[in-house]
Amino acid sequence: MSISKRRDKKPRRFFIRQSAVSSVYGFSFSITLVRKTQSHLNHTTAFASHFQAMGHGDKGRPNKKPKFGKEDYKKANFEDDDVYHLDDPDDDDRYGDKEGGKRDFSKLELKPDHANRPLWACADGRIFLETFSPLYKQAYDFLIAIAEPVCRPESMHEYNLTPHSLYAAVSVGLETETIIAVLSKLSKAKLPKEMIDFIYASTTNYGKVKLVLKKNRYLVESPFPEVLQKLLKDEVIGRARVVHEDSGNGEFTVSKTAGELGSRHEGLLNEAEAAAAAEERETHSFEIDPSQVENVKQRCLPNALNYPMLEEYDFRNDTINPDLDMELKPQAQPRPYQEKSLSKMFGNGRARSGIIVLPCGAGKSLVGVSAASRIRKSCLCLATNAVSVDQWAFQFKLWSTIRDDQICRFTSDSKERFRGNAGVVVTTYNMVAFGGKRSEESEKIIEEIRNREWGLLLMDEVHVVPAHMFRKVISLTKSHCKLGLTATLVREDERITDLNFLIGPKLYEANWLDLVKGGFIANVQCAEVWCPMTKEFFAEYLKKENSKKKQALYVMNPNKFRACEFLIRFHEQQRGDKIIVFADNLFALTEYAMKLRKPMIYGATSHIERTKILEAFKTSRDVNTVFLSKVGDNSIDIPEANVIIQISSHAGSRRQEAQRLGRILRAKGKHQDRMAGGKEEYNAFFYSLVSTDTQEMYYSTKRQQFLIDQGYSFKVITSLPPADAGAELSYHRLDDQLALLGKVLNAGDDMVGLEQLEDDADQIALDAARRSKGSMSAMSGANGMVYMEYSTGRKLAGQGQLKSKPKDPAKRHHLFKKRFA
Amino acid sequence: MVNAIKGMFISCDIPMAQFIINYNASLPASHRFIIHILDNTHMFVQPHVADMIRNAISEFREQISYEKPT
Repeated sequence: MSISKRRDKKPRRFFIRQSAVSSVYGFSFSITLVRKTQSHLNHTTAFASHFQAMGHGDKGRPNKKPKFGKEDYKKANFEDDDVYHLDDPDDDDRYGDKEGGKRDFSKLELKPDHANRPLWACADGRIFLETFSPLYKQAYDFLIAIAEPVCRPESMHEYNLTPHSLYAAVSVGLETETIIAVLSKLSKAKLPKEMIDFIYASTTNYGKVKLVLKKNRYLVESPFPEVLQKLLKDEVIGRARVVHEDSGNGEFTVSKTAGELGSRHEGLLNEAEAAAAAEERETHSFEIDPSQVENVKQRCLPNALNYPMLEEYDFRNDTINPDLDMELKPQAQPRPYQEKSLSKMFGNGRARSGIIVLPCGAGKSLVGVSAASRIRKSCLCLATNAVSVDQWAFQFKLWSTIRDDQICRFTSDSKERFRGNAGVVVTTYNMVAFGGKRSEESEKIIEEIRNREWGLLLMDEVHVVPAHMFRKVISLTKSHCKLGLTATLVREDERITDLNFLIGPKLYEANWLDLVKGGFIANVQCAEVWCPMTKEFFAEYLKKENSKKKQALYVMNPNKFRACEFLIRFHEQQRGDKIIVFADNLFALTEYAMKLRKPMIYGATSHIERTKILEAFKTSRDVNTVFLSKVGDNSIDIPEANVIIQISSHAGSRRQEAQRLGRILRAKGKHQDRMAGGKEEYNAFFYSLVSTDTQEMYYSTKRQQFLIDQGYSFKVITSLPPADAGAELSYHRLDDQLALLGKVLNAGDDMVGLEQLEDDADQIALDAARRSKGSMSAMSGANGMVYMEYSTGRKLAGQGQLKSKPKDPAKRHHLFKKRFA
Repeated sequence: MVNAIKGMFISCDIPMAQFIINYNASLPASHRFIIHILDNTHMFVQPHVADMIRNAISEFREQISYEKPT
């Protein structure tokens, strides 16, 4: 008997199963498979191993249904023109069969000129977009405004219509009729009735009412007087209304506003409709009491009156707040996608609150600075840490004509104050939300921040900040307009939807692959390097008593070390690249760095030393590799690096993977070389080293999901280091490997654990999620330690010795009485 | 005299061999099935355990593969 190890992971196994399962199309499928494999896995050995897997891999369970989503399936097959016949109704049937006969599109009526239309709209709200259509650009702009992108590989995008995304669409100025008209223009088939109903149901009330801060008066605005009447009938809103003597009682103020300027989707409608949309229209408004704004907003939410308010800032007519004299320098040329995101924000001459999503390195700061210099009012800029505060201050000075005395940083180290009556303050979330006692000096500054009316609240990296801190920051500061910037709108704790209501809808999200094609961000080759466990390490890994050391064991796997050493040598010597090695596990970080004699930075490294190491890394020819713990994940700016090797990671965090990739996304070299068809196909490399047959395989696949949804593909490399590399790499001899093993086993449990940083909300979320699954926490190696700490606390509490025993307040020591009173 | 034992010959890669050995060791003495470990990648076991080993391995593999929630 032969037990062949199944090396293939799910996505790849998927192709294989297709070839095995489909009987009629089996032949054509396997041809597709081979072609696809070749194009994606040009590494010969990887290819060979796949082939091997085709032979054995699916023997285990040939009957199991493919578990992958439809889009993967399409991704796999649609790339081949031979298989891709959209006008053949049988085609859909075939897909339907593969998914268990649930979907039958054979009755779908196609429009006669369907080949020219780029969209498929499904009744369940999913929309598929062909990226090779000539209308792709327009269709993409439109879809990104109305729908949530689910998965965006090269040829076919999947989007999802949700109430949130439609809310965002309405808030950037699209109307229900426009949405449906454009959708049906673009769709290959007649729009499903369900979808039209859904759009109507979600949007009829959205965007009808606006809350505008004009000359420091809060106005409720609407083009529909009957809606305002309805709102006023509500007790809370009726009371909040401020009535002026000069205008007749019960009448609304009528004013004219310009129609939408920014939305170019009208081009897709016929001219008459476009003309109607651009016409000036009347708006009716009434004023409300500033102190009642919160209550009024609450009454308008879907669970009460269901007229969610849009917030806009009419900054051009704001004469109360002083202007800030700053504009973009002439050399600051926003790129097309930056322009587009800004036009979404300033679509009708007013500033809207919302979130802009751009990949790391695509120039988020320029968008922020441009927004600030367009509003030209005082601006409060919030960043995550002191380093990025410095970077933001630098960006403001670099791109805009702001004077040095108009911009100030407010961190624990530098407490500057700007002169004059308007300016830019750059600070961190922690500084503003900090609840404890402050020094006298910072108390004064924070008072100033609280009392000022800010034109723009600019928030960097909105995905990392926990919701409660946001609430605090937003309630502390009075701002007319809020702009959130981020690269990765995913969190493991699913708190992203909170942002919709705290800041505003997502205004724009760039497509990563389009930016790569345009040469705006680096073209990254992602690779997953599979390192088999050595015999001794795997034997220890399997032992029950080592469950806490599992992570240390698979990270310190000698084969992984050798692969890492090989990659460092290859890139340093052959290509002259600059390399960052990431390790979450402190024990592994120190071991690797010491053995390879490279500098490293982790949480405890002092600011001076960090700066010194990074400076050397940037300028010196001798320092080409730096080891970073997870302090390097966010916002440490190392534009020189173009290779990342990841030896250990934080469980299954998709955000971490994307943020790490972001470290090397900043485009390098000449622009024309980077364009599609330029000199270098890839100019950046992202390696993730994974020990096979361990928990790491699970995490690794999970982590990649976000990047895969952005259209990245991961190449699998199985034979690193090459067999002939032999003795020149470390841990060639068995004794060395055994010595290393001894070291790992003898290290204390606290040593091999993860590095704990402050304010890591995602970490807690992951642990919480893991706690609900018993088997996973047992498998999680050193992560389980955190879990243990919780349970120790609880055990002690259960014994009633320490914490939880309720004490009689009368018996409490007098020193503590006050505290608990 | 030559003694003949009926059994099954397993060949697999190094980590899987370790997995089988570990699995064998976790069973009570009466249920252990490995007759002889020949080298890193080969072993000789009782003839009736094939399905049991397959199940153990597929369970192990299930634990370490991620499936995208739909």
